[in-house]
Amino acid sequence: METDRKDGRTPNQLRPLKCSRNILHRAHGSASWSQGETKVLAAVYGPKAGTKKNEDPEKACIEVIWKPKTGQIGKAEKECEMIMKKTIQSICLLTINPNTTTSVIVQVVNDDGALLPCAINAACAALVDAGIPLKHLAVAICCCVAEEGSVVLDPTKLEEQQMRGFAYLVFPNSALSALPEGSYLVNGEPLEHGIITSVTHGVMSVDEYLKCVDRGRAACAKLSGFLRNSLQKSQFPSDTSSKAA
Amino acid sequence: RAHSSTEQDCCTTLVAASGSSTILPPFSVHRPAGTLRQLFRVSSSTFISTQLATFPTYPAFCAGASMDSRLANTWRLTVNEKKFIETALASDLRIDGRKPLEYRKLTINFGREDGSADVQLGHTHVMGFVSSQLVQPYRERPNEGTMSIFTEFSPMADPSFELGRPGESAIELGRIIDRGLRESRAVDMESLCVLAGKLVWAIRIDLHILDNGGNLVDAANVAALAALLTFRRPECSLGGENGQEVVVHPPEAKDPLPLIVHHLPIAVTFGFFSTEYTMVVDPTHSEEAVMGGRMTVTVNASGDICAIQKAGGVGVPQSEIMRCLRLASDKAESITKNIKDAVEAFNTERMLRKIKRHSTAVAANVSIENDVKGQKDKLAGQRVNESSMSQMERLKLKPDESSISQNDGLGSETRSSDQISSQRAEGNAPLFLGGPSSWDPHTHGVDPDFLKASLAAQGKSNPKAEQSSEDSDDDVAMQEKDASEDVKPPSLATDSSETVEEQKTSIVKKTLKDAVKPKNRRRKKTRS
Repeated sequence: METDRKDGRTPNQLRPLKCSRNILHRAHGSASWSQGETKVLAAVYGPKAGTKKNEDPEKACIEVIWKPKTGQIGKAEKECEMIMKKTIQSICLLTINPNTTTSVIVQVVNDDGALLPCAINAACAALVDAGIPLKHLAVAICCCVAEEGSVVLDPTKLEEQQMRGFAYLVFPNSALSALPEGSYLVNGEPLEHGIITSVTHGVMSVDEYLKCVDRGRAACAKLSGFLRNSLQKSQFPSDTSSKAA
Repeated sequence: RAHSSTEQDCCTTLVAASGSSTILPPFSVHRPAGTLRQLFRVSSSTFISTQLATFPTYPAFCAGASMDSRLANTWRLTVNEKKFIETALASDLRIDGRKPLEYRKLTINFGREDGSADVQLGHTHVMGFVSSQLVQPYRERPNEGTMSIFTEFSPMADPSFELGRPGESAIELGRIIDRGLRESRAVDMESLCVLAGKLVWAIRIDLHILDNGGNLVDAANVAALAALLTFRRPECSLGGENGQEVVVHPPEAKDPLPLIVHHLPIAVTFGFFSTEYTMVVDPTHSEEAVMGGRMTVTVNASGDICAIQKAGGVGVPQSEIMRCLRLASDKAESITKNIKDAVEAFNTERMLRKIKRHSTAVAANVSIENDVKGQKDKLAGQRVNESSMSQMERLKLKPDESSISQNDGLGSETRSSDQISSQRAEGNAPLFLGGPSSWDPHTHGVDPDFLKASLAAQGKSNPKAEQSSEDSDDDVAMQEKDASEDVKPPSLATDSSETVEEQKTSIVKKTLKDAVKPKNRRRKKTRS
């Protein structure tokens, strides 16, 4: 059933994506990610010496600082920081640089729905720009459940408020490997079928949630292709042969 | 301890650098060793004093957990670099190639909504946001609105900026900008009064420092001014019995009003070095670490001095101060012109956006009727068609949330956006040569395309031809289930001059049309 979206997209259509990296000069890595009107800027500093007080000194520590557009930092921002920290911790190789801190600073430039997935995508691109060792990339998407039970991808802020419930899902990116097909499967399934993070708001049934996961996974396959391409592109204007295959 | 270590550093540096004469000050090469040591003692003490004088720019040394790790993580200028900067200044050269009295390139961009500005001054990057809300006024000023400035030295800008309470330099920056705006009465406070004594508008300016490339005060000041000039506050009227109730009108009901800004106070910062009264305008980050004192002068274009801030540092003779004031008024004129031009461009774009919205609102109704009368599958094809069309529409023409309700059928909007996308694709490479500094690519390529777009909105005959051929493509796309999705190489080719990448992958097989407008389709996935 076609849900009539206000800006004319089909339920499976994402908003236009834009990703640029190395935009700040002092930060070790920086990236900006925008999905439609939602835009987030992420910067990475690290690794710096020493870990925070309660962190394990045998591993690298990730610190996330979330800066809202206006206003004080409150509980919602702290929650976003915590979710992002746990997500990034699962994709980083923490044992390579023990007793160090890597800071990820996220600045919200504009919020028009799907803010947390946008921020996770931006942070991932910034980590790559900084050269932090990662196991794989993370791609995030927001899926919401409409009143009649259909799943809609990448809502705007209005749609988020009107829908019955929505879920932020983060998947690993699809692997492009030189190794033979079966060697990087986890329990017989490809790596990108796993869910790194899932945060839901509102009410949805189990079937609806599983539908969200399926749709989200398909969308993330496309998103990870986009991310890979944009990260491979050279940042120097003189280099016209920009990307690899 | 620090004293002796810098002495040692000086000695080793000179010995190592004796081969290359560029780093040495010209007179020291021919002196015998004894007087060289004396020279070093003098120069090392000045190095230390400059270091101490610049401590305020690194706020967080005293507070916090482990001093050692923080010291290890802070950035320090090496002695070689310090000497180099000072020596180069002696021959009127700055390390980034500017003359001592030259200002860096100022770029002002605006975001989608009113009251958000992004300023880049060389490597320094500052964003300003203005918001408003109704509050009770101060008791002693019941007729005036309030204005408050919040400066955030984001840890993103500099590894030494810490989260938490703002340090000295953050507070100083906020106070300088505040004084320039408030005490010079640049913004009219009395027009912000709604109900005397009960309700007034409170303007809140948030300044986010994103990248510290030196001279944060000037850049933040420009960001605040640009954001204030483009901010629109909601219109409100008095109603109810006694006229005591205030009704705030949403933006779609009544146009929001701009703030009344009488003049633009521009801050110009000078850096003084301890050697021979050298002075530079608009110091960079490395120059700030070397300089002995700074002075910020806030003037407006008519030559009125709004504020002067010189907090300690190297003593400067009176004639130099007068010279600085004169220089500042000159710079203020050119910067004011810069800001006004940028704001004009933004306002024009905003006007065009509004006009476009109204014209398509009329046209959209027509197209909806047509669709309803048409057949079902044509309807589906058309809708897919419209939705698969140019994303330029979303990017540039996206109406405010309020007007989304007005435009249910975006038929003509998307068709006209076809034009924009084709024009944009051709003009894409030159427009985006701003490099990594183009914060909001929307506003770069907007003006010429917008004019064309508004003209295109009038005539729908042209796009219809394209639309019919697209129809067939998308019908095919609807049926096939494409597992092996791939990104479009042509889209990357046109964008290769830029780090900003715009990608909309689609299932449609590549035709010549795709080469013309490569980036105008959203990614579509078939329903699973």
